[in-house]
Amino acid sequence: MRRWLRQHHYALTVALRRLRTQPFSTLSNLVVISLSLTVPILAASVLQAVQPIVRHIPVSPEITLYLAPQADLKDAQQVATQLTANRDPVIQSVQIVAREQALARLQQESAWAEALAALESNPLPHAVIVTLHESPEVAREAAILAEQWRSLKAVDTVQLDSEWMRRLGAILDFLGVGLGLLAASVALVVLATVFNTVRMQALSQREEIAIARLVGATEPFVRRPFLYLGGLTGIVSSLAAIGLAQLALLPLNHALARLASTWDAQLILALPDTASLGAGLVLVTMLAALAARWSVTRNTRF
Amino acid sequence: MIEFHHVFKSYGRGRNILADINFRIEPGEFILVSGPSGAGKSTLLKLIGGLEPASRGAVHVNGHRIDRLPRRALPYLRRAVGVILQDSHLLFDRSAMDNVLLPLAVMGLAPRVARTRARAALEKVGLLGMEQLNPIEMSGGEQQRLAIARAIVNRPAILIADEPTANLDHDSGQRIMTVFRDFNQVGVTLLIASHDHSLMAPYATRTLHIEAGRFTDIRGVPS
Repeated sequence: MRRWLRQHHYALTVALRRLRTQPFSTLSNLVVISLSLTVPILAASVLQAVQPIVRHIPVSPEITLYLAPQADLKDAQQVATQLTANRDPVIQSVQIVAREQALARLQQESAWAEALAALESNPLPHAVIVTLHESPEVAREAAILAEQWRSLKAVDTVQLDSEWMRRLGAILDFLGVGLGLLAASVALVVLATVFNTVRMQALSQREEIAIARLVGATEPFVRRPFLYLGGLTGIVSSLAAIGLAQLALLPLNHALARLASTWDAQLILALPDTASLGAGLVLVTMLAALAARWSVTRNTRF
Repeated sequence: MIEFHHVFKSYGRGRNILADINFRIEPGEFILVSGPSGAGKSTLLKLIGGLEPASRGAVHVNGHRIDRLPRRALPYLRRAVGVILQDSHLLFDRSAMDNVLLPLAVMGLAPRVARTRARAALEKVGLLGMEQLNPIEMSGGEQQRLAIARAIVNRPAILIADEPTANLDHDSGQRIMTVFRDFNQVGVTLLIASHDHSLMAPYATRTLHIEAGRFTDIRGVPS
């Protein structure tokens, strides 16, 4: 065990020496990989900030039936009873929102409070909100139901509330896939950069490798410094990328705060949580070590 | 013990570099492999060191048939065979000490033990006090002695050297031969390939003369 640890210590020392003896090459590789890794970290930060907002907005399909201004709460109850009486399996729930309730909700929002205060009476109608069960056919079924309910007595307008949220959800899904593809591209950049670095190193260390084999070095002994080289490149690049992303978030958050304040809202971009960053670091390190192993195996067959 | 049975060596479909080689070397012998350039001396040594495989026949070293050893077992055999090549194959970006420490690092020896052994090896070849020098700062003879120190530092049972005195003046050559003789006297089996027969012959217990890949003369008595 001690012998094995000593050999690893030796490999680490050799890897560090090789990195040190070619500072420009080392630095340029680290910069390329770090910058490549910074992009998905920032993208993940944005996606992470946007997702909770979307999550709090109902994405399940809803249909709102606004009653005519002269209709009273009894009419609203009658409409609700009519909708539930059919026991349509598509309907999940039916909820009445009285005009007073709706007004109170709006008054809680600062943007509306001022405007509503200027009104003498409540201009809002009673409403019936119908939530539908999620299904692949829900959009089509919702459209049919909305069409049917437009002819109900006392109903003035029927609105499919969830449509724009569904679009936003789809956009977020698209962005998620985009982030996945971006991460895959960055993985390729890491793979290619480390592969090429190790290839160059293996070629320039040809003589040293031949001598090591001459004195009885096993193939794992020959490969080990290159694996450390790949692993160290992965660790340092990941840490540098996290640092760069953190730095980039400072001006981004400053600009975002000014933008959000115009809507009287707060939006802050933050790095993904430590566990995710740690998992990313381990993944990049393993990927870099894997690229190094692949490269050293291919380029030391002499 | 080193034994060759009907060994052939060729590269691709080219001519045989070695053809039907048969011999046996007992432990502790000092063998001179002589012959003109291109006769196959270096190839013979490379087969013993496991640096190249035989095309046909059986090569036994230290009780192992090395042409049948799995690839991963070869490095362990090489540790038992010290190899000194004509071109000293030193690491010119490291100190003399680091060069000698390399075989011990390969074996995973503790640094303190390794340093003691490396110093002892450098002392044996007369380079103690020069351990911090870079090989580039050394003369040809010193570089060759450094290569010998590296070859003997892990105490191999067999030492093979390919033209170790080539490109050296007579005095440096003599000094290296004295070093080899000292190792032989403590039981190390020595095989030296050289075309400088006059320098080597006084030290060798046997001479294997090779020409065009075949032994043409075997002189001396096995010890």
